[in-house]
Amino acid sequence: MGIQHSLKPFTTFAGGVACLVFSAGISAGMKSLDDSVLAGISGQSGLTMELDLGLTAGRLSYFDDGNGLHLEGFRVGSATDPTGQAFHLVRVDITEDATLNLDYLVEDRRIEFGDIRLAGAPGVSMGGVFFDHSLKGYLNIRQGGALGGSGYTFDTAYTMTGGRLGYRTNGNELFLDNITMNVEAIGVTLDLVGNTLTLDAPRIVGDWEVGAIRYSNNPLTHGVSLDSGTGQPLPSYGSLSGRYELSSRTDITAGGRAGEGLRIDSETVIHTASFLYTDDGNTLALRDIEGAYRINDLRLDVAPDWKNRPALALTLGSMDGDFRIGSIEMGANGKSVGQINVSFLLEDQVFNGRNYSNAIYLQGGGHSNAGPQGLRLATEWSLRLADFSYTEDGNRVIFSGLQSWGQGDVTVNVTRNEVNNGTEFFDGLRVGFEGIKAGYRINGLRVGSEDAPLQGGTELLLALGFYPAYEFELDGHVTLGAGGASGAGITINSDIRIRDGKAAIIAAPYDEGNGEVSQKGLWITELDYNAHVRDMTVDVTEDGLAIIKGEAWSTMDIGNLRVGDKESGQSFGRFVVKKYETGSSMTVIPGGAGDVCAGGMGSSAGECEASGGVWEARGGEGLTVRLRQVFAKAISDTRKNELVWETNRQIDGAGRAVNGTGTQLVLNDIYTSDGGDFDGDGIDDNSFGTRTDLSVDVYRTRVVKKADGADSLGVVGNRGDEKIMDASAAAGYRYVSNPVAQDAENRPLGFAVKARSQFKELSINNIDLVHPVGGAQTAVYGVKMQNFDIKANLTATPIP
Amino acid sequence: MTPTGLRRTLSLLPLLILSLPVTAELSRLGDEVLSGISGQGGIYLSGDISINEVGGPVENSYFGRCDDASKKCGARFAYRLKEDGGWMVLDEIRGNFAFEGLTLRVRNVDSGFAGDGDLFNRDVIELGLPNTVRFNDVQFKIAGSSTARPTDPGFQQTDIFSVEMQGEVMMEGNLLVFPAGNP
Repeated sequence: MGIQHSLKPFTTFAGGVACLVFSAGISAGMKSLDDSVLAGISGQSGLTMELDLGLTAGRLSYFDDGNGLHLEGFRVGSATDPTGQAFHLVRVDITEDATLNLDYLVEDRRIEFGDIRLAGAPGVSMGGVFFDHSLKGYLNIRQGGALGGSGYTFDTAYTMTGGRLGYRTNGNELFLDNITMNVEAIGVTLDLVGNTLTLDAPRIVGDWEVGAIRYSNNPLTHGVSLDSGTGQPLPSYGSLSGRYELSSRTDITAGGRAGEGLRIDSETVIHTASFLYTDDGNTLALRDIEGAYRINDLRLDVAPDWKNRPALALTLGSMDGDFRIGSIEMGANGKSVGQINVSFLLEDQVFNGRNYSNAIYLQGGGHSNAGPQGLRLATEWSLRLADFSYTEDGNRVIFSGLQSWGQGDVTVNVTRNEVNNGTEFFDGLRVGFEGIKAGYRINGLRVGSEDAPLQGGTELLLALGFYPAYEFELDGHVTLGAGGASGAGITINSDIRIRDGKAAIIAAPYDEGNGEVSQKGLWITELDYNAHVRDMTVDVTEDGLAIIKGEAWSTMDIGNLRVGDKESGQSFGRFVVKKYETGSSMTVIPGGAGDVCAGGMGSSAGECEASGGVWEARGGEGLTVRLRQVFAKAISDTRKNELVWETNRQIDGAGRAVNGTGTQLVLNDIYTSDGGDFDGDGIDDNSFGTRTDLSVDVYRTRVVKKADGADSLGVVGNRGDEKIMDASAAAGYRYVSNPVAQDAENRPLGFAVKARSQFKELSINNIDLVHPVGGAQTAVYGVKMQNFDIKANLTATPIP
Repeated sequence: MTPTGLRRTLSLLPLLILSLPVTAELSRLGDEVLSGISGQGGIYLSGDISINEVGGPVENSYFGRCDDASKKCGARFAYRLKEDGGWMVLDEIRGNFAFEGLTLRVRNVDSGFAGDGDLFNRDVIELGLPNTVRFNDVQFKIAGSSTARPTDPGFQQTDIFSVEMQGEVMMEGNLLVFPAGNP
């Protein structure tokens, strides 16, 4: 390792000891050695400085155009003893070629800020940050940068052990514990070009590990792994580790978006990287990551946000990049789900007639009832274009033309279980949303390649709550607590409110190639959605990724279900969907459908084809989502499963339909059951619920022509002819009346979803017809469905 | 390759090499470029749907696997129209439907239909009927029952008639779904 190598200039161990003894006398404080002193020791065996450092400062301030950012309660000292000092040992050596070699050893050091405040925002602050570490490494500095003599070149490597990086608000803290890190960067150059400082790192190699991510709600516990009251280890979200090799170039220029400040431009290439999350010995691994990203014109200012609130402003000109995750592995056997590619461009763009840019305005305070400390990120974003693609077994599906925009406040607090001023808080890291007006949309799917035609297919993922387009106003929070269903993991409590939502169930492209058009579709509009989740655990298990909901209830009040345009399309009326689930779960499992008999029956290729089906070996990769939804019996008007369809509503002065004034069809109190009381507690058992397995693959499928003549692209064929991909044909395909075996291998690729849904018993207590004046009349006194096992194999391709 | 062609290729090489540092740049195909090959969204679905192919998830005195002749392996749907009345039942629901070419999209109808389309001029959900639908052992029974569950005490059931379907149905045309009336 480089560290050992750099110690060689020290001639003898005895000499080193002599230096140590000498330096003990100056351990009480730092003393700078001026150049005249250092000149005399050039080419000699060096100088050793030993230092026990304890440093405190009440406030460090940074001013930008007169606006202040204050770091309060600054301290450097021992990590284990709040009043102690951190041990430093630095050996300085200047070689014949005037290279300055620094070998250093730092033990048990903590650097912390008790609080971060912005001038002009009294009473609120961002909270405290602490960073513990022991370091051993070297830094060699020599004159001459990438552009010649005026710059510098650095070689550095270090090992960090016993690291902790924590964030604390209002007595609660969250920290990365037991961080170990090795970093090596050789040939880093620093040059001044004009008024720009350029830092070029041609190769940075490292690996890192975070032993645990811990949470404490005990105000007396600070920066330690054990609870100071119980002595027990603090709960953990799991552990992380990774490796990387990258190169980067960063330009830093003076001057903010307005007046003083900083400008950063940067380009980073990730040659290889991995990221592993481990929960009780089970790992979710992202491997073979590579890609690049470029930051253009990122400005750092202390400047107010759009509501004139004091803030540390990070405003971005643009950022683009692309990434490839070569393999996503999970489960006991490390089976791969497949590969993901993402490309993105964050840049100013007009959405819905309004210009959006990319900016984060960091402020103090967090949620107003969580206490004075916390983070508020007044955020605006504009994702101009992104493509997200998923490849399994060599076949690819692209979620094409993803765009997103929004503005609003995100708050971050570390909170504990309590009710403050009427707001319920939970143990964990609380990410709050306040007045976020946002949206996203995709242009469609492309299956196979980037130049494949746009098609639908997201309709097949509705069971997973995926909408191809969504606009909303969002308030609420997601609180991520430490500890899963057992041991490490994540526990989520969440309350979300969406207002004035517009979500597409089916959506045509927003851009067919001739510019933006109104996105036609089947839309749920005037949506008011309230969703609550309690004690939902997320764990990596032997099977894959397991999400278990303790209790979840929601009301989705769809003002109109519209066909066509989301604003002006005609409406089917109002729909209200209430859900109440207990013990529901979702497990994500690597591997898709495997062998499938599409359009027939049979468990072998021969049986399948004999029944008229097509035998499809969809391969080992792919993704399966296993859903279990346990619909509980109603316990209140909001915690129940109910479906209401209302039409014939009265119209108000503004021409809007008034909810509750029409005629309603009510499917009241829908619930699942195991079909009897088998445990003898007097209540029907309800643990099976509805179970849905969705397997997603990309695979070839049979597409037949539906009418004689030319199709939408002018390719001629007869009804019943099969579509066969052929690169030599003008449109990329041709129609074949009697396909041979080779043709079958060139069938079009489709987005293949295999679904299996089963339930033991699903009941509806009653179905009522409700008249606004006459009241409710029961039409059906109970529905009971039993013993259902429905399988569907559907493959979606473009309409020829 | 001709010598001229080779020279051209060679002269392009430095450009390629020069362009390496900018590989981070996005080179996506914009949707404008793809206008000529757009399929206008929507989906064409092929596949099959089966109900209780080998039985359902319930195994008790009434329900069982399909290879157990003493048990019913189909699904059961029961409802009643009177508060204390008997139950109408669709029992032993089973079968498999396979189809090719069910299409789904939203489109505007502003022409055709013997001139009515022009007057209609609205967006509709279009379900394009598949060329063929193949039925394999599709069956169900209609019955009257004294209880919702066949395992409830006092269960009695009278089968009224049963249906079995097998074979292929040829289809053509579209099913258009659109709102009408006051929402």
